[in-house]
Amino acid sequence: MTAFLEKKGVLAVLLAAAGALMAFVSLRPFPGNGGSLLLAFLFFIGVVEGCIAAAAAGATVNARWVGSVRKELLSVTPLLLVASFLLLLLIPFVDSYPWAGRPGIWLRKDFFIGRNLAFLLLAYVTARRFAAAPADGGGTKVRAAWYLLVFVVSQSLTAFDLVMSLEYPWVSALLGGYFFIEALYGGFAVSALLYLLLHGRPPAGNAPGTRSDLSDLSILMFGFSLMWAGLFFAQFLTIWYGNIPEEVGFIARRVSASPLRELCVAVLFLLFFIPFPALLATRAKSNPYVVSAAALSILSGILVERYVFLAPVVRFSPGALAIDFACLLVLFVAVVYKARVFR
Amino acid sequence: MAEPMVFREKERFLESLRELVRDGVPRERIRVITPFGVPEVEEILPGKRSKVRFFALLGAASGTVTGFAFTILTSLSWPLIVGGKPIVSLPPFLIIAFALTILFGALSTFLGFLLLSRLPSPRGIRSEVEYGNAFVILVEDGERR
Amino acid sequence: MGNAERYAKADRDILAAMEKPGRAYLAGLAFTATLTVIGGILWIYQIRNGLGVAGYTHPVNWAIYITNFVFWVGIAHSGTLISAVLYLFRARYRTSFNRAAEAMTVFALMVAGLFPLIHLGRSWVFYYLLPYPNQRQLWVNFRSPLIWDVFAVGTYFTVSLVFFYVGMIPDFAIARRCKEGIRKRFYQVLSLGWKGTEREWRHYGMLYLFLAAFATPLVASVHSVVSWDFAMSVVPGWHTTIFAPYFVAGAIFSGTAMVITLVIPLRKAMNLHEYITDDHFESIAKIMLFTSLIVSYAYIVEFGLAWYGGNVFETGAFRYRALGDFRYLTWAMIFCNSLVPLSLFVKRLRRNTTCLLVVSLLVNVGMWLERFVIIVASLAHDYDPYVWGTYSPTYVEVGISLGSFGMFFTLYLLFVKNLPVLSITEIKEHL
Repeated sequence: MTAFLEKKGVLAVLLAAAGALMAFVSLRPFPGNGGSLLLAFLFFIGVVEGCIAAAAAGATVNARWVGSVRKELLSVTPLLLVASFLLLLLIPFVDSYPWAGRPGIWLRKDFFIGRNLAFLLLAYVTARRFAAAPADGGGTKVRAAWYLLVFVVSQSLTAFDLVMSLEYPWVSALLGGYFFIEALYGGFAVSALLYLLLHGRPPAGNAPGTRSDLSDLSILMFGFSLMWAGLFFAQFLTIWYGNIPEEVGFIARRVSASPLRELCVAVLFLLFFIPFPALLATRAKSNPYVVSAAALSILSGILVERYVFLAPVVRFSPGALAIDFACLLVLFVAVVYKARVFR
Repeated sequence: MAEPMVFREKERFLESLRELVRDGVPRERIRVITPFGVPEVEEILPGKRSKVRFFALLGAASGTVTGFAFTILTSLSWPLIVGGKPIVSLPPFLIIAFALTILFGALSTFLGFLLLSRLPSPRGIRSEVEYGNAFVILVEDGERR
Repeated sequence: MGNAERYAKADRDILAAMEKPGRAYLAGLAFTATLTVIGGILWIYQIRNGLGVAGYTHPVNWAIYITNFVFWVGIAHSGTLISAVLYLFRARYRTSFNRAAEAMTVFALMVAGLFPLIHLGRSWVFYYLLPYPNQRQLWVNFRSPLIWDVFAVGTYFTVSLVFFYVGMIPDFAIARRCKEGIRKRFYQVLSLGWKGTEREWRHYGMLYLFLAAFATPLVASVHSVVSWDFAMSVVPGWHTTIFAPYFVAGAIFSGTAMVITLVIPLRKAMNLHEYITDDHFESIAKIMLFTSLIVSYAYIVEFGLAWYGGNVFETGAFRYRALGDFRYLTWAMIFCNSLVPLSLFVKRLRRNTTCLLVVSLLVNVGMWLERFVIIVASLAHDYDPYVWGTYSPTYVEVGISLGSFGMFFTLYLLFVKNLPVLSITEIKEHL
């Protein structure tokens, strides 16, 4: 595979092929194809933007761990172009949003696609500029800050437009913030996995408790698990306590029947009750098995949660879902692998 | 007790400390007094990791349990529905349990610290011996301190 | 200069702040103490005559006192942030601010804690809030956000006090060595007989780490709970999911502003330029800028979603906020909290203490206004136009509010002369 990927243009061909396949699948008028694409889009846009945001956030605060995975994290930048393409493929699907066809200023199909596309492209441009800057150059922090700014807006728009407006007029002001924090959380999880894949276990001579890049990433995941729980709780408590019909409907639709109810509980476990206790001990923070288990738990938690968000209102088709995820996963692995080979 | 060795510079002090350990003076007989925490001392005289962390864990756990037990049992002892919320409303009770986790955890850590470092020490309060900014090594005679 | 001399100089320089006070200091203390006394007299007046002397009218039954409560709890936040969070992040510049910020936390909480009592009217029955059963064995209602407040703020005060004290133990040992007479006795007792043995330092390091780890989630939880006093209701403008993180960011924002406001004059008056450098101010200005951006994000999302959702009451509440009776305050708040801090993107301005002082003062004003606008404007115009009203404070409320500032600064001035204003031990560690 190495030799195959090293050839020039192979990556471009791969991108084009995957794009064509996904286009073919999602444009066939089967019910469920659009919904599957939306789920794949939501998960990957979170992870991809989150990876770059993790590198950018690390760069702005001079975090030492960034150095060991920076290049791989930033290698996913071209996938933002793929994401933009996927957004275009979603155009026919937008007609199934509850507000479609009604007059509106904010919720109009052209503006809806336009602003999301604009911020995805802007994210691509700023990420490219950040990736092109030398790791310790003077302007790097400024470029990282610009990317983070676009990242926050882009993720908030994803949350408010693509997810929240599916259940218009349901409103939660926190959803945007919740999405970008979750994306960053996922970004750190990917960083930890990449670190383990690239560097293996930390040197054995290290006494427990000494600093390593891996333990720093574990601390970040640990902290973000708490932060995620806080945001989740803040959102849940306000809706639960207020008990206003149009608000609680969102939760009620998800917890009143199996199997969504079990999946909701699973989300809580995958994003908090597993990573938090697992990473609590100092020793565990540099144990490769514990860290990778926690990171995988976080990533699958994000995936399940996106599914739970969409499930009551969107139809899926298993075949399309499988193809979309396979394509995106292959692309993700390919770009990261290529960056690693040419390190 | 032997004469204290007093150093004005950290480096000299660390050197002598290393020398003492190399010369085979048992670790238990060496006492060190520094004006601030010196991480290198830990490396030269490896001791057990501080047990303060167990106090933290115990305190925090007892706080969580107390928080939930307190709120649930008192609500059940006179079940009165207020504001349409269930008698045992776990989301609000979680807030109380969280606050108590932190409170008990922090206080028990502090008490653990006092206990383990034998503070407050009336002898220390009355003592007039001050080493100021110096780094001091005391080698005790064979007996336990 | 050798290290030993540098250590001795640090002792001298920082303890010099605790020498006999000058005339300016005494004048300042007299002024703040007078404000406090006036506030106290007005409170007594209010207790004798009832809450009628405050400007509360239907429907605005939460006003300045609650604004002050939220404001002071918010101010308290940066203390823990700087001490605990920056400690966990191993940020060096924390040493310059942590003591001042921790003291600020403790004093701000003391002031904040008074306001629910003042607001009660019948202040003497405050103990109804404490978790104990009444004569018929009915306990307090743990589902009420006001009880959460008691637990959250009580815990916060206790933990902050412990943190503040623990940080000072080794410094008390220095003070007991350098002072004479009765003050020596005082510091001897406070230092608990600290010697600085390796055992003490080992446990101390672990204790400090754990206190920081406990305090960090506490920072986020306390202001979340304060925000839930509002968000749990169904008042338009209050009931929003974003309130908790928005209030936390706002609290840290106002707290860093207050730290800057206090430390700039402190550095000048006590000649601590060597220990608190412009670099340190720049770092803390960055935190202020960062939190300002979060607060601005929350403003945009709040207004945007009120418009997006199309709910009549929600839209009405935000239109009233922007265009109604309190519009000047709203726009002043946006100017102070969102626009002025943008100037900190310029490096030169971040390093200029005059500019920082101006920005931080404006932020303090802006954050006070924010709480006022949220509380009063939302209550004044809720669901039923028949009960809409407005509110203006009386001299009693204004006087008590000024008294709270007086009390805070009095406590702070006393702190400056009696306790070490910087962590001497940590400074030596970094020399």
